[in-house]
Amino acid sequence: MNQNKIKVIVSKVGLDGHDRGVKVVATLLKEAGMEVVYLGMYQTPEGVIKAAVDEDADVIGLSYLSGEHLVYTPKIVDEMRKSGLDDVLLVVGGSFPPEDVPVMKEMGVDEVFRGGSLTESIVDYIKKNTRGKS
Amino acid sequence: MSQGHETKKNPDGSCDVSWDDYLKSYYEKPQSAKTWSGYDVQELYTPDDLVKNDYKKNVGDAGDYPFTRGLHRNMFRGRYWTRREVVGIGSPADTHERAAFCFEQGGSGLNTIADVTYEMGLDVDHPWAENEVGLTGVNITSVKDMETLVGDIPLDKVSWSLITASTAAAATMAQYVVVAQQKNYDISLLRGSIQNDPIHFRYCGFRPACPLDLSVKLGSDVMEYCTRHMPKFYYTTVNMYDLREQGINAHQEVAYGFGIAMCYIDELLRRGLHIDDFAPRFTFYVSCHVDFFEEIAKIRAARRMWAKLMKEKYGAKDPRSMQFRFAVHTAGCSLVPQQPLNNIVRIAYEALAAVLGGVQSLHCCSYDEPMCLPTEKGHLQALRTQQILAYETGVTNVADPLGGSYYIESLTDKIEEEALRCMKEVEELGGMEEAIRTEWLDRKFEIEAVKRQKEVDNRDKLIVGVNIFDSEPETKTPLGVQRIAEQSAKRQISEVQALKRSRDMTTLREAIDRLRDVASRGKNTIPAMIEATKAFATTAELLGTVREVMGYPYDPMQVIESPFK
Repeated sequence: MNQNKIKVIVSKVGLDGHDRGVKVVATLLKEAGMEVVYLGMYQTPEGVIKAAVDEDADVIGLSYLSGEHLVYTPKIVDEMRKSGLDDVLLVVGGSFPPEDVPVMKEMGVDEVFRGGSLTESIVDYIKKNTRGKS
Repeated sequence: MSQGHETKKNPDGSCDVSWDDYLKSYYEKPQSAKTWSGYDVQELYTPDDLVKNDYKKNVGDAGDYPFTRGLHRNMFRGRYWTRREVVGIGSPADTHERAAFCFEQGGSGLNTIADVTYEMGLDVDHPWAENEVGLTGVNITSVKDMETLVGDIPLDKVSWSLITASTAAAATMAQYVVVAQQKNYDISLLRGSIQNDPIHFRYCGFRPACPLDLSVKLGSDVMEYCTRHMPKFYYTTVNMYDLREQGINAHQEVAYGFGIAMCYIDELLRRGLHIDDFAPRFTFYVSCHVDFFEEIAKIRAARRMWAKLMKEKYGAKDPRSMQFRFAVHTAGCSLVPQQPLNNIVRIAYEALAAVLGGVQSLHCCSYDEPMCLPTEKGHLQALRTQQILAYETGVTNVADPLGGSYYIESLTDKIEEEALRCMKEVEELGGMEEAIRTEWLDRKFEIEAVKRQKEVDNRDKLIVGVNIFDSEPETKTPLGVQRIAEQSAKRQISEVQALKRSRDMTTLREAIDRLRDVASRGKNTIPAMIEATKAFATTAELLGTVREVMGYPYDPMQVIESPFK
């Protein structure tokens, strides 16, 4: 394993079954040189955070497409705090109204990429914000 | 990234426009001459392109085999397509209210959709359901919920499309029949449809609820039951639309959709039904994406291919068995949250393609689909899009108005050829069930989805607001945001909990035992599900009982145990 590689955990929490986007992002982040672990669907906030700790992840990426983003985001942020993951980047993608972007940032999400985001913008953001790694 | 013209604002408010850019855009030409699905097309099509085309054999008039040009000779002069907007929001009462609103505004068919919790086969009081009840549709846990959803809707008059796709469709069917019987309807006269395509739903995130053998079993149980008892009801809508949303192209949509349809057909034939007993009630859900001509050609190709498949492979004699009946859902995945009002235009083009393709029933997405569930204004706008098309534009006058176009006929042939090639590929793998079991189809979807994203990243496919003509991101959804009232879910959960406490457990247990027995003997489970539903068995209890017989955990999420042990 390359210690210098950015490590990203991507996942979905709850029952939302729209996984086309999250799988595409996982593949494209890998192609951009990152180490990516896709946890699959039906994860719990506790499960995602445990995986992030175990894998020593630099980034947690969550995908929401069924209107569950305001339900699960506070739970994820809370679990991150409990596990001391303050230096881990929390990035969210999917379908939600623009009105909810500042709300999620207020909750503790570092960056939000809505549908239609280009891969380059996601890769650039992650690379710039995970210092010392490439 | 923006292709807009660079302008510099002066302090006095005037602008300096870059006229060089202006000139460039004046002479600009399209960068690609491929269709959305990647077919190379000629600059011009002429009569020479139709040389091989035998009109009578391959095209035929609308209403005649092989139905390339439409199912009916008079098409929309006989009847408009059904203007049917999908509704599913919050509780059964909320959903009923929104459906009634769409009716008041001139909708002509009902279309209610299950939420993720119901599709997964969970009751609303399941620990995994609590957070998500009503967020994406409606959960029908017991017959009481179905009663609320039905309300005063006249079931023998209104064409109602029940969108439950997963194995939970078997429960929906039972709940629907029980409510209809309580209201003294003769079920043999009921009209409408149920989506009931559990095989495809594994690709929409419902794999725990839709193991392949259980999907074939319960899906076919519904189809067989309706064939015998509800001859006017359309008992499946094979969902090619959801497959397309995975990122595949036009001919793959047809090929894989037909592959899945054949899984059910083969099972119904194994059960001793004749093709003409049931095929006239087969329907499909088709996507209309943004490449206008390609979508029209795809629909025409699908109609011809289905007719030939039914006649040549399955030996159908009844022309109605050979008719590819379909609803269109405009492509949700073609919509973007950037500059969201543009979605209205995309939807209108897609709807026009559906109508020129000869659609039977249409759902237009609402423009806010990439942001939230439709707001009431969003729903109304989508319905009005259909109404403008139906009542203002004149597209209803003539059947298959593009038939005979050198281009359309050539593209129809091309898509048929490509789709047949794809079907052959699946056949060589050992058939669709094998392609599913080995996850060949999963890999296909994943490869295609990545390809689609790269096309957008590389600007091989242009999307206004995304990789061309982009502008500052919006901070507000133009017509407001649909929120789901939390108390709706809470009320439904407490009602279900109260119902579960008040049931006559002896009667219920006996009904569940009978269901278990019927399932163990491989018999059709729907009559026993109907009886158990009358004893207030819930969705999770009906499905869990059959799941256990088939060797699966009672609860798809593997959290709770059967209460009937």
